[in-house]
Amino acid sequence: MNTFEWVDATSVEQAADLLAARSANGAVVAKAGGIDLLDLMKEGIVRPGRIVNLKSIGGLDGIALGPEGGLTLGALVTLARIESAAEIRGRFPALAAAAAHASTPQVRNVATIGGNLLQRPRCWYFRSQLFHRDGANAGDAISDGENQYHAIFDNRETAMVHASTPATALVAYGAEVQLTAAGGQRRTVPLTDFLLPPDIKRDRDTVLAPGEVLTHVVVPAPAPNTRAAYHKQTERDSYDWPICDVAVVLQMDGETVAAASIVAGWVAPTPRRAVESERVLVGKPLTEELARAAAAAAVAGATPLSKNGYKVALMEAVVRRTIMAAASK
Amino acid sequence: MGPSELTVELFVNGRMMSVRLDPAMTLAEVLRDHLGLTGTKIGCDRGACSACTVWLDGDVVASCMTLALDARSRNITTIEGLAHGETLHPVQQAFVDHDAMQCGFCTPGMVMSCAALVDRKPGCTLDDVKAAVSGHLCRCGAYPNIFKATLAAAGAARTRDTSRGDGR
Amino acid sequence: MSTAATEKNGKAPDAAPSKPEEAGAPAGQPATPNPGASRQQTLTYGIVGEPLEQVTRRVPLDEPPPLADNAALKVIGKPLPRLDAVQKVTGAARYTFDVKIPGMLYARRVTSAVAHARIVSIDTAEAEKYPGVRAVHVLDRLLLQAQVRDPNAEPASRYPTVRYLGQPLAAVAADTQRAADAAALLVKVTYEPLPHVTTLDGAMNDGSPADFPGPTEQPGTAGGGGAPPGLPQHGNVRGPDTGRMFGLPRGDVARGLADAAVVVEAEYRTQVQTHVPMETHGLVADWREDGLTIYASTQFTTSVRDEAAEMFDLPKSRVRVISDFTGGGFGAKYGIGNFGLLAINLSRKARAPVRLMLDRREEHVSVGNRPSSLQRLKIGAAADGRLTAIALEAYGSGGVAAGAGVGFAHAMMYPCPNVSAIQFDVFTNAGPCAAFRAPGQVQGIFALEQSLDEVAGRLGLDPIALRDIIDSSGSDDSRARRVQRRIGAEKSGWRTRRPPNADTGPIKRGLGMAQSHWLSVIYPPSSCEVRITGDGSVEAFSASQDIGTGTRTVLAQVVAEELGLEAGDIGAHIGDTRYPIGPPSGGSRVTGSLTPAARNAAYRAARDLAARLATALGVPQDDVVFEEGHAGVRGNAATWLPFKEAVKKAGITELSHRAERREDYDGYLMETPEFSVGKHGIGGVQFAEVLVDTETGAVKVQHIVAVHDCGRPINPMLTESQIYGGVIQGLSYALYEERHLDPTSGLQLNANIDQYKIVGAREVPVIDVHVIEQLTAQTSTDARGVAEPANVATAAAVANAFYNATGKRIRTLPLTPANVLDALRA
Repeated sequence: MNTFEWVDATSVEQAADLLAARSANGAVVAKAGGIDLLDLMKEGIVRPGRIVNLKSIGGLDGIALGPEGGLTLGALVTLARIESAAEIRGRFPALAAAAAHASTPQVRNVATIGGNLLQRPRCWYFRSQLFHRDGANAGDAISDGENQYHAIFDNRETAMVHASTPATALVAYGAEVQLTAAGGQRRTVPLTDFLLPPDIKRDRDTVLAPGEVLTHVVVPAPAPNTRAAYHKQTERDSYDWPICDVAVVLQMDGETVAAASIVAGWVAPTPRRAVESERVLVGKPLTEELARAAAAAAVAGATPLSKNGYKVALMEAVVRRTIMAAASK
Repeated sequence: MGPSELTVELFVNGRMMSVRLDPAMTLAEVLRDHLGLTGTKIGCDRGACSACTVWLDGDVVASCMTLALDARSRNITTIEGLAHGETLHPVQQAFVDHDAMQCGFCTPGMVMSCAALVDRKPGCTLDDVKAAVSGHLCRCGAYPNIFKATLAAAGAARTRDTSRGDGR
Repeated sequence: MSTAATEKNGKAPDAAPSKPEEAGAPAGQPATPNPGASRQQTLTYGIVGEPLEQVTRRVPLDEPPPLADNAALKVIGKPLPRLDAVQKVTGAARYTFDVKIPGMLYARRVTSAVAHARIVSIDTAEAEKYPGVRAVHVLDRLLLQAQVRDPNAEPASRYPTVRYLGQPLAAVAADTQRAADAAALLVKVTYEPLPHVTTLDGAMNDGSPADFPGPTEQPGTAGGGGAPPGLPQHGNVRGPDTGRMFGLPRGDVARGLADAAVVVEAEYRTQVQTHVPMETHGLVADWREDGLTIYASTQFTTSVRDEAAEMFDLPKSRVRVISDFTGGGFGAKYGIGNFGLLAINLSRKARAPVRLMLDRREEHVSVGNRPSSLQRLKIGAAADGRLTAIALEAYGSGGVAAGAGVGFAHAMMYPCPNVSAIQFDVFTNAGPCAAFRAPGQVQGIFALEQSLDEVAGRLGLDPIALRDIIDSSGSDDSRARRVQRRIGAEKSGWRTRRPPNADTGPIKRGLGMAQSHWLSVIYPPSSCEVRITGDGSVEAFSASQDIGTGTRTVLAQVVAEELGLEAGDIGAHIGDTRYPIGPPSGGSRVTGSLTPAARNAAYRAARDLAARLATALGVPQDDVVFEEGHAGVRGNAATWLPFKEAVKKAGITELSHRAERREDYDGYLMETPEFSVGKHGIGGVQFAEVLVDTETGAVKVQHIVAVHDCGRPINPMLTESQIYGGVIQGLSYALYEERHLDPTSGLQLNANIDQYKIVGAREVPVIDVHVIEQLTAQTSTDARGVAEPANVATAAAVANAFYNATGKRIRTLPLTPANVLDALRA
C-alpha cells in the first residue's frame, strides 16, 4: 500500500468537512474498522491520499434502547458487540445472529456496523483491479464467466450483490440510517433506499453523498409478539460468504401472521424483500404448508445466470426453513 | 500525520516501544520488521487466515488488517508476550503436550486465540473452541489436537480455579 | 516421476559378484541388494497383534540387530512431544519468511497481465530509477513448465512466451518492500496478445487456441511431475502415456470386458486444487564472492542447492541451503522456482542478500497445483467379484505443465489380468501443476474406488466383502488392508449400514469406505552422521528438512534408542546442505529413508564407544550395553556409569560415525539414483459417515475412521497428526476446494483464502485414527511414511458414503451444493 496522510477526526462535523474537501494527494476516504478499506487498498482498487479516522470521534459507539424499545446503534459499534449485547440478542435476535455469523472473530472485534453497510461487493471481478481499468467490462465478464455467487434476481444491469449480511436482518427489521453532512445537515434514510445496486464504475454503492458521514443505525421497536429468525447458508461453516442469507420477522396475532418481513441477501443486487412471500403469509395461520407456499413465491420469477441456478432451489429451502424457525420462537 | 514517516509509541508486551513508521504500515509489518517480533506470521495479508492474530487489550484481532496507528494507546500482546519468562502459558504447554501443530506456521496465531478463550472462559466447550478458532486456517490439519489441547488447558484451569476454594 | 533407469547407484547391474551370496539377477535387472559382506538374519514379519512369522533375509554384515516390536522399546514407538514444539508455540521458530540478515533487500515480481502473448518489450528504466531500487532482473527462461520440443516452432525472442496470467516476468530488489512493490508497478510490458483457453474441455477441442506452438517435453524434477518423453501431441493434448512403466497394457481388455458378468462404466471429473501452504513459497538469496547461501522454504534442501548450482553454473560445494522450518509444502516446494532464478540474479547484481517471498495470490497462481481430471473408467467383474478387466482413459490439465496423470492404482492395487490405462496431458493457459500429496493417486482412487463400490452393488456384495475377494496380491499393503478393513468396519459401525437412500426425510445419512495404495519410496543417498563429544553430548546431523512431519524428533528417537538415552538428550540438526545428504519431505520418504541411516550411524557410534569403554574397563566389548541413560556390562551393576561419565571414562574427545541408507533387504521394484520403489506398498482404508441435506446440497461429514500402516511407527503421536492432516486435506479436496479462472481474461478469481476454501475448524469431523504396526523386515528400523497414504482414500470414501445416503452417485468434485443438487437431480 502507498502511504497517505492521516487525520484523527474529533467530531462528525470535522470529519464531514474533511470528506467533502479534495486533498492534494488524491482521494479522501473515511476509515472506521478499516477492514473493507484495507482490502481495497491492498488490491490496488482504492488509493487514498488522505484517510479520515472516524474511530477518534467520541459518542458514535453507543447501543441504546429507546423508551418504546427501538434500537439506536452508533455507526462505530462493532459486530462483536452487536453479537453479544443482551438488548440486541433479546429483542432483535435476527440482527444478533447475522452479526455473529459475519466473518471471523478477529474481524468482528474491529469491523463496525457503519463500515459493514458501506462495504463494496465481494464479487471477485470487483475485487480485481484488472476490472477497474479503462475498457474493462465486469458486467460482460460476469455474464460469460464465473457467476456462481452472483444475483438470481434483477441481474440484467448488474449481477453483483451487496456483501453485508447484517443488512439482510436490518432491512427485515425496517432499519434506517442517519447521515450528517458537512455543514451539519442531517437526514434519515430507510436502509432499503440507502443501498444501491453495486456499480464498479462508482466509488460507493449507497446514496451517501461525498462529505456525508453515517452516524447511526436506527431500528424501530418491534411490535409485541414479534418472532424473528435468521439463517446464513454457506458452503463452509467455519466462516464464509453466504450463498444466500434470509431474515424473517413475523408479527403474530395468536397463531395468525399479522405482518411479515422476509428478506433475502446475496440473491439480488441489494437485500430483496420477498413481497410475494409476505403476501402469502399475512392473515393466515402459519403452517408448514403455508411456509412452503411462501417459499415458492419467494423464488418465482428468478432469472438465474449460467452458473447460479442452484441458488433458486437452495433459496427456496432456506426461506421455508427460516419462516418455520421464526414460527417456533 | 504522514504521509512521510513519523515516530509513534506502541505498548507491546508490557513495554513502551518507539517506532518510526508511515501511516500505511500495518501492525503486523511494524511488529515483524521494525520490532523484530517475527513470531506473528502473515499467511494471506487479508484477514482471512488469522495467522497474524495478536491481542489488542486482550481482544483477538488480525494484525495484518490493523493499521499501526490504530494500535496507539492499546495494550498489544503478541505470541512473544504470552509466556512469563520461562513459564509457558498453559495453552502453550498443552499445545506441546498434545502435538497441536505440524508445520507450525499457523501456531502462534492459533495459540493467541485459544489462550484468550481459556483465560476468559475456563468452562469452555468444544463448540466454544471451534468458535474461537473459526477464523483460523491450518493447512496441515492440526485442528483435532488443537481442540484437545485447548480443552485440556481449560480443564486444568478449571481445576486450578476450584482447588483454590472460597476461603483463600 | 521420471522413467526408470536400470543402473543402481552408479554400478552396472551385471558386475561380477565377489562373494557367493551375491549371485546376481540377470543383466538389465536390479542386482542383489546390498552387495558386499552379508549374513543371514532372522527377522519378525507381519502385523503386530496378528500372527507373526519369522523370515530369513540377507542383510549386510554390519547391520544392527533387528529391533523388537515397539512395545518392547524405550523411545521408538513412544508418543513424545516434538523437540521443536516449544519453539513453534512461542514464535521462536524461524521460517524463511522470518529471515532477516544485514543489508537484506526486498524483492517484488512483475507478472503478466494477460493469459497468452508474445512479449514485445519490457522497459525497466523507470523502475530502476525509483528511490531505493538496487537491482532489476528480467527472466529469459522459465522453470516448472513444459518446453517446446522444436526451438524453431516459435519466433526467437529474448523473452519467454507468456502462457498464463500471473506468469513471472521480472523482479525488482529495493531497500524496502514498499519501494520494491512501487517500483515493480513501473515496469512497462508490451504484449502481442494471442488467443487463450482456460478450460479442459475447451482445450481438448480441435479448434482450440494452442497453448504451445508444437509438441512439448517436460522431464520430471526432484519433486516428481513431468511426463514421459517423446509422446505425440495434437494441439493441447499430449499423449497417450500407456503406462509402460507399470507393465501396461496387459492381457486383453476387450475380452475381459466381454467375459464379465458385470461392467461398470462411468465418467468422473475432479477439479484443480492448489497447495495453500500457510507459509508461501520464497527464499533469501545471499550471493557472495565465496559462495551462494540460500534460506529456502523448501521440502528438499538438496534440490534447491542442486538447481541453483545448475542454473548458475556453480560447483555444489559453493552453494549452501538452510531451512530451519518450512511452513508446509505438500509437494510444491522443490528446487528454486522462477522466483529463485529472480532472487539469485538480483542478489548477484545488487551484491546484497535479497528476500523474495510470494504473496498469497502469487502462491495460488504460479507455483503449483493438483491437475484436474476427466476419467472414463470401465471395470469388468465376474459374478464372484474377481476383476476381469480395467480400462481407463484419462485426461487432465496441469495448465502449462505436464504431469496430470491419475496414478497407477489400476495397474498395481488389485490383481486383474486385463488392464489398460491411457492418459493424456491437456495444456491450458493456467498456472503450472506440481506434485501434490499423492500425485495422481487421489484423482485416480476417487474414480476407481467408486466404480468398485458400484460393482459391489451390482453383484449384491458388501463393498468390504468385494475388497476381501479382490485385494489379494499378498503384498505387505494388501495384507495391511485386510486387517484395516476389519478394524475400520468395527470402529465405524459398518454392521449398522443401511441400504442406499434409507432415510425418507430431506437429511440423509450414509456410510461408505474406500481403500488406498501408495508406493514405498526411498531416497537412496540418504545418510546421517552421529557425533559424540567428550562431555557426553550426542548429536545427529541430516540435510533433510521439516515441513511439519517432525524430522528432528524422529531422528532423535531413533538415535536415542540405540544409546539408551532420551530423545531430548539428542541434538538433532537438520535443514542444512552442509550436513550429510538427506531425503526430500515428499513421496512420504523421510522416515523410511532417514531412520535406517540414523540408526545405523548411532549403532556404529555406540559400538565404537562400547569398544573404548570396554578397553577402559577391561571387559569384552560385546558385553557393554547402553540402557536408561547408563552404560556398563550387562548383568554387572557395579560397572554401570551414567552416560556422560562413561564417555569421559572411554577417553573420547570427539567420535563421529556416518551411515548411509542401505537398500531394502528384499530389493526394489524399480531403482534410480534419485528414488527407489519398494516391492511392497503402503495401504490404508478409510470410512466416512456423512449427512446430505438434499434440499440445500450441503454435505456434512460426521465421522471418519482412518486405519493406516506405516511399517513401524516411530512416534505414534506424530503419525496420528500426519493422518489427521491427510484426512482433513482429503475432505477439503472432496468438499470445498476449487480454483476458479475467468474464461475471458484467464485471471484466477479466487487467489485468496476466503474464496478459495479449505477446511476450517467447524468442518472437522470426529476422526478416529488407528495405526497398525507392521514389521516388513526390510531395513534396520522398518519405518515408512504415511503422509500421502492418509490423503488418498478420503474423497472416495465420502463419495461412497454419499451414494449410501442418497442412492445417487456423485462423480464430480468438489461436492459443492451446486454439484450435489445436480447429482441428486440426475
